[in-house]
Amino acid sequence: MKMSYTTEERGNPNTLSYKVFFKNSEGVYISPFHDIPMYADEAQNIFNMVVEVPRWTNAKMEIATKDKLNPIKQDVKKGKLRYVANVFPHKGYIWNYGAIPQARFACIRQASSFFTWEDPGHKDTDTGCCGDNDPIDVCEIGNKVCSTGEVIKVKVLGTLAMIDEGETDWKVIAINVEDPEANAFNSIDDVRRLKPGYLEATVDWFRRYKVPDGKPENQFAFNGEFKDKDFAISIIKSTNDYWKALVSKNSGGELNCTNTCVSYSPFLCSKEAAQAVVDETSPCGIADPVPSDVDKMYYYEKK
Amino acid sequence: MRIMSLLLKSCFRFSTTYVGSQTSLKTGFSSQILSFHLRKMVHYKMEERGKPNTLDYRIYFKTSEGKYISPFHDIPLFAGDDQENDVPTKKAKKNGNEIVFNMVVEIPRWTNAKMEANPLNPIKQDVKKGKLRYVANVFPHKGYIWNYGALPQVRVETNNISSPKTWEDPSHKDNDTKGCGDNDPIDVCDIGSKVCSPGEVIQVKVLGILAMIDEGETDWKIIAINVEDKDAPNINRIDDVRKLKPGYLESTVDWFKKYKVPDGKPENQFAFNGEFKDKDFAVEVIKSTHQFWKALTQKQTDGGAINCKNVSVCNSPFQCSEEEACSIVQSAPAFGISDALPEEVDKWYFLPK
Repeated sequence: MKMSYTTEERGNPNTLSYKVFFKNSEGVYISPFHDIPMYADEAQNIFNMVVEVPRWTNAKMEIATKDKLNPIKQDVKKGKLRYVANVFPHKGYIWNYGAIPQARFACIRQASSFFTWEDPGHKDTDTGCCGDNDPIDVCEIGNKVCSTGEVIKVKVLGTLAMIDEGETDWKVIAINVEDPEANAFNSIDDVRRLKPGYLEATVDWFRRYKVPDGKPENQFAFNGEFKDKDFAISIIKSTNDYWKALVSKNSGGELNCTNTCVSYSPFLCSKEAAQAVVDETSPCGIADPVPSDVDKMYYYEKK
Repeated sequence: MRIMSLLLKSCFRFSTTYVGSQTSLKTGFSSQILSFHLRKMVHYKMEERGKPNTLDYRIYFKTSEGKYISPFHDIPLFAGDDQENDVPTKKAKKNGNEIVFNMVVEIPRWTNAKMEANPLNPIKQDVKKGKLRYVANVFPHKGYIWNYGALPQVRVETNNISSPKTWEDPSHKDNDTKGCGDNDPIDVCDIGSKVCSPGEVIQVKVLGILAMIDEGETDWKIIAINVEDKDAPNINRIDDVRKLKPGYLESTVDWFKKYKVPDGKPENQFAFNGEFKDKDFAVEVIKSTHQFWKALTQKQTDGGAINCKNVSVCNSPFQCSEEEACSIVQSAPAFGISDALPEEVDKWYFLPK
């Protein structure tokens, strides 16, 4: 199956109007959440990744899970466009950051079931189904700085289990298969060996990135250790099941499941209807400048 | 055409005003005459030519009246020297007895292109082995980690003032280099929050100094902060940097130690065990290099023939007449949209610990 995707920008970058829509190789508008397959090559465990935030940038670009066709847009908090702080020594995001499509992290119980692997005596508490509903996050460690909306193929290397404001938030570590060094990276240990300091910096980044916003440091499961590739792939596979359940049901809850390619989904819509969604947005225009306070570097002692 | 006529007008005005000083102008940089002229100016303007990220790209400096100047001879070292006489400006604010210096920014924080100005030429990107030079990203750093630039009107003389031994032991005798300065300005790292632009002239407070040894030559690195920075009132000494920006000084040493390793060069060394000397020491270094610069330029204005073996300013385009300077700039390619950065500039080098 020929799989190439293009993006169409609408609105003005660095403003509330900015949206990045996706089209498939036939020019049909698609949802990057629902219409891009999780696997680029299932047999080889190569996944698709939708890049949201290019390395070294600050704008918090995200797949809009509640919007029709799930364009990428900049996150807003308290009415203001969100930019991640630079926490010394890090400048913006320190990897290309994005999501694996057709993955949904739905339930706390889903998370805690992995804890039982660690400790069979652990008792699950039934918290109802209240995970963060987001696609699964990926940190891509290759050298190329990708663009927002770029769809790349990645090898999964491991995963970190962050606990962000009380919810488990898996951070998959992966590398672009097109990276010149990709062949040398096959496990999380290869990252330790070939990019010393990068994994430690990754934990440090996730631990502290919200502190300038007045939030506490984040915590991690498994003592902040990275789980290996096989563990990571199992997690990703289970999120695929939760996603399938989501798009097959008749109510998506707060998520928007409109799609143009998932044939069994009650949320399937026509390409004309998809076109209409895009036409409602303003045409692409000149970017606003990034506010200068985004350049501030925050310094504080690590705990 | 309009630009051409404006340039010619400013050339003409200049030559009628300074008709008595043609000799000095031809020989270059009479600080007395030009600093008088500059006292009337507050702002420096830049004129970009060519396309950024190409071999043609240049940034020329002008006074607010449009006269082309050399950033390293015609901009005063001490910021107070370029005030307008009658109108107080923002830049007039000083913190008590604080000495404020002008700094010419060459490289914005977090960028990689090795932009350089030297007294002879406008700002342009350094070239090595025929290729445009970009500094490597050495993990955890991205590009330069401060706004990087230089102080005007200073010259570091190799094997004399530049030698740390001179500062450690004043009785130390250095080799006589025949008074031949290497014409390097002193490098400055501005640690303020704002990311400045290449060619921007900012006012800075000096906080301290690091003595790096780069390929066998001493290379002073001044640590300073933009006086307009919000934190500037609280940052007056090198210890304040340690307190308010923990880790930044260590990163600075780490950066300078390793930045050439991806190019196959060894790690750099430092004098004084890599310690930062304090503000007073830094100001002494600056003052003596300023004296050396003055001595160099005096040689040219004292009516004697320029000895081109000793002073390389004779090749400067700005040491010609204003008309010649205009035509040099005019013949440069028009300013255009920048070329894309080569992808390899994004590579992140992870050096073994």
